[in-house]
Amino acid sequence: MTDQNSLITELKAIVGDTYVVHEPDDLIVYEYDGSVDKGLPLAVVLPDSAQDVSLVVNAARTHRAPIVARGAGTGLSGGAVASEGGIVIALTRMTRILEVDVENRIAVVEPGLVNLELSNAVSGHGLYFAPDPSSQKVCTIGGNVAENAGGPHCLAYGVTTNHVLGMEVVLADGSIQWLGDRTRESTGYDLRGVLVGSEGTLAIVTKVILRLLKKPEAVKTLLAVFKELDDASAAVSGIIGAGIVPAALEMMDDLCIEAAEASVHAGYPDGAGAVLLVEVDGLSEAVEEESEEIQRICRQFGPMEIRTATDAGERERLWAGRKGVLGALGRLAPNYYLVDGTIPRTKLVEVLARIKEMSVESGFPIANLLHAGDGNLHPSVLFDERKPGDTKKALEIGGRILELCVEVGGVLSGEHGIGLEKQEYMPLMFSEADMNAMARLKPAFATGDLFNPGKVFPTGASCADVFQAAVSKVGPGAWI
Amino acid sequence: MVERVFQRPADALGEITNHNDAYSIDGLQPTAVCLSDLQGLSDALSEAAKDGLAVAPWGGGTRAAIGNRPARLDRILDLSRLSRIVHYNPADLTATVEAGISVAELQRHLAEQGQFLAIDPPLPDRATVGGTLAVGGSGPTKWQFGHPRDLVLGMKVVQADGTVVSSGGQVVKNVSGYDMARLHVGGLGTLGVIAEVSFKLTPLPQGEATLVAAFDSTTRCLAAGLAVFHSVVTPLALAAYDAAVDERAHVAPVKGHHLLAVRLGGRPLTLQRALRECRSLCHQGGATTVEALGEADAVAAWRKLADFGWDEATAPLMSARASVPPTKLAEIVETIANGDSPAALRCETLCHVGYGTALIHWFADGPEPPTHAIAEVATRARKAVHAVGGRMNIERCPLPVKAGLDMWDQVGEPIAIMRRLKEQYDPGNVLNPGRFVGGI
Repeated sequence: MTDQNSLITELKAIVGDTYVVHEPDDLIVYEYDGSVDKGLPLAVVLPDSAQDVSLVVNAARTHRAPIVARGAGTGLSGGAVASEGGIVIALTRMTRILEVDVENRIAVVEPGLVNLELSNAVSGHGLYFAPDPSSQKVCTIGGNVAENAGGPHCLAYGVTTNHVLGMEVVLADGSIQWLGDRTRESTGYDLRGVLVGSEGTLAIVTKVILRLLKKPEAVKTLLAVFKELDDASAAVSGIIGAGIVPAALEMMDDLCIEAAEASVHAGYPDGAGAVLLVEVDGLSEAVEEESEEIQRICRQFGPMEIRTATDAGERERLWAGRKGVLGALGRLAPNYYLVDGTIPRTKLVEVLARIKEMSVESGFPIANLLHAGDGNLHPSVLFDERKPGDTKKALEIGGRILELCVEVGGVLSGEHGIGLEKQEYMPLMFSEADMNAMARLKPAFATGDLFNPGKVFPTGASCADVFQAAVSKVGPGAWI
Repeated sequence: MVERVFQRPADALGEITNHNDAYSIDGLQPTAVCLSDLQGLSDALSEAAKDGLAVAPWGGGTRAAIGNRPARLDRILDLSRLSRIVHYNPADLTATVEAGISVAELQRHLAEQGQFLAIDPPLPDRATVGGTLAVGGSGPTKWQFGHPRDLVLGMKVVQADGTVVSSGGQVVKNVSGYDMARLHVGGLGTLGVIAEVSFKLTPLPQGEATLVAAFDSTTRCLAAGLAVFHSVVTPLALAAYDAAVDERAHVAPVKGHHLLAVRLGGRPLTLQRALRECRSLCHQGGATTVEALGEADAVAAWRKLADFGWDEATAPLMSARASVPPTKLAEIVETIANGDSPAALRCETLCHVGYGTALIHWFADGPEPPTHAIAEVATRARKAVHAVGGRMNIERCPLPVKAGLDMWDQVGEPIAIMRRLKEQYDPGNVLNPGRFVGGI
C-alpha cells in the first residue's frame, strides 16, 4: 500500500468511508474557492466533531500531508485553496448551534454553521449576529473567523473579531484547547484575538462562542442618487463629519449603476453618476433624527433624487441594485478582477480619480463598488480573458490599485484577506521585521507549518504569475 | 533619544511631585530612562538587551501594582514623554498617537473636534494610552465594543532587542497580516513595548444625561441594570455600586443601599426617549429613587466611578477584577461581599452591568489582618468566581500577600502557547520578567 493510500485508509477509519472524498472526479468541486486559484488535494475529509478533527490532524501530521480547513469556499483571496497532495478538512457537517444563552446574549456554535442561519435561529429572541458579509446566506462562521469577515454593517458594529469571545481549537499536535471563554475580558495573552483573521494558518476552529446583539427597534434606509461621484463622496464625509456613524454607508459608481439598471431595473434616473445607500438603526427617535440630518447633508450636494424606506420590503428594494451589482457586471464584460483594499475615508475622492485615470490610460473599464463609510473599496477591473495578455494586464491594474491604497495610508485588504492572492504584496505594507514578527506566531502555536502552508506570507514569486492560473468568471456565485 | 539615566527615582521627578515612590514596582527601585522618541526607545531596549538588564515600560505609573512581583528589575523605561499625536484627521475618525500621551490629553484634543476615544481608565490625567492598553482592562464606558482592544487598528511595538515592528493599519477595516496588536493589549509589556497606536474614534454624542437609581438589594439593582442592557436603549455606560463606595468616593447626590448609574447619549428626542425608558425600567425593577444628575454632577460621578480604588482617597488594601457572564454578577457580589470573611476586611463592589465585570475592593477598617488571612479572602473570592464560570485577577494587594498568591487567574492549557510566545519575542526574558501569567 502506498503512503497516500494508507493515509486515506486511516482517514476512513476516523470518519467513515462516506466522509472521505478522494476520487479525482469527486475532488474537483473542492478544487476552487471564490478566488481565482485552485489546487487539487489528495483527499477531502468531513469530520463531525473536534475529536474527529484531532485524529485527522494527527494522521495528516504523521504522513506529512498539509491541511487546509474549509467552510463554504466563498473566500475571495484563495485562503481555502487546497495544497497539492494535502488534506482538506471540510467543516460543513459541523453545523450545530450548541447553545443560545439569551440572557447573556451568547451563542455557542460549530464552525460549519452558515452565518445567516445563526441570525435566523436567534431572531425570535430579538437577537442577531452582527457580521454580515454579502455571502452570508452561504458562508460559514468558521470561514468568517478565519478571514475576520466584515460586511456592510460592520461600519457601526465591528468585524468578526469584535464578536468572538472564545473558541475551541485543534492545534497541530492534535490537542483540543479553549482560547477565550464566555467572558468579555481575557487573562493572559489574547490568543483568541490573534487567531481571528489568521486565515487558517495557526489552528482549526471546532467551536465558537459568539456575542449576539439585540435587534434595533427601527431601521431606515436612504438612497441618494448624484450626478457626480465627487458629490456622493462629499456627502459621505459630511455624514461622518456630522457625528453620525450609520449602520451601513455604501456607494456605487456609474458603471455599477449601468449594470444594476440593466439587470435588476433598480429605477435609477438617467445620467446618474453615483448612488449612495445609507442605513440607520436604533431607537425610532434616533433613526428619525439621524435620517433627517443625513437627508439635509445629501441635499447640500445637489442629489438627483432621494428615496427612503422603513418597512422591510421597501428597504429590500432599495438594496436590490446594490446587492445585484456584482452578478450584473457580466453584462458589461465576460470577466472581472475584483480588488479589495481600504483607504482613509478622506482619500476617497483622490483615489477614485486616480482609479479613473488608470482606467482611461489602460483602456480597461473599472467599476467601483464601495463600503464608503469605512473606506473599503471594491474596484472591479473588467476584461475579456479570450484576448491574449488581457488577464495579466487586468491583474497588474489590480496590483497598481493596491499600491495606491497603501500609498495613501490604506491597507491591502479590507475584508477578503491575503491568502494566495495578495501574499506577494505584503512587502508594500510591511517590512521584513514586521513580517518576521508575524511569522513567529507559527512556532509559538507549534504549527510545524501543517496548516494552510504557503499562504499569507510572500514567497518571492510575481503576483500576476501566481494569480494567473485561472480567472474569476462573472456570475451570481460571487459576493462582496 | 535617551534623555537621561536617573540613578535615583527622586531625580526623575521634576514634574511628578505627588508621587513619592515614583518608579517603584513592588518595592524594587530600579534606575530609570526617560525617552522622548521611538529611536531612543529602540536604543534603550537594545542596550538593555545587550547588558541583560530586566526592563519595565512605564507610562503614568498609575497601575504599577498590577501583576506578580517582578523576578528581576533593573531599569524603568519611562515613555511619558513619547507623547505626540502622530496623525489625526477628524474626518477619518481615526488617530495615531505615541504611547506615552496621557488619556486625558488625548481626549482633550479629540473633544475639540467633537470626538472621543471610548476608553476610560482610572486617573486619565496620568494614565497613558500605552499603559492603559498594556494593562488591558476596560473602564465603565462600554460604548461600541467595550474592550480597549476592539478600538485598536494598528500598533508599532519595539521588541526586546530594539527592533521596531508594525502591524495593522490606520483604517477601520483591515485583514492584512496577523492582528499582532491583540497580543500586546493586556500583555503587560512582556512581549514588546507599545510605542505607537492607531485608534478608531467615536463622535461625541450631541447630548448626554445620567440617571442614578437606588435599590434596597444587590439583586434588584443588578436585575434592573440587566433590564436596561436588554432594552432597546444602548447606554454609554452602565455601572452598579454599593452605598459603601458612595460613602467613600461621594459619587453622586443620590443615596441608597445599592445604586445603578446609567449614562445615555444622543440627539435631543433620542435622549428624552432613552431617559424615559430607563426611568421606567428602574421603577419597574423596584427602585426607591430615580434621579437625573446635573451636568457637573454627572461628569464627576463617572470620573469617580472610573477612578475608584486607584486614587489616593479610595486606595484599598486589596483589589480584584472578576469577569463573569453578565447574569452571574449578582450571585458573585452576594457571595463575596456579603459572605463570611476570614479577615476583618470591608468589601466594596462596583460592577459594569451587562458586560460582566465586577471590581471588588477590600478595605481594612482597623489594623491590617495577617497575610495568610488576606490571601484566604482572595482565594475564596476566586473560588466563587470560578463557580460561575468566570475568572478573577488580583490587581493590588500588600506585597507579602503577593509572595504566596498568584495575582493572575489560571489560563489552563494555552499557557504552553503563551510560554512559547515569550520565547519567540523575548528569548532573553528581559521584558517585565516574572510579572505575568504563569511566571512569564
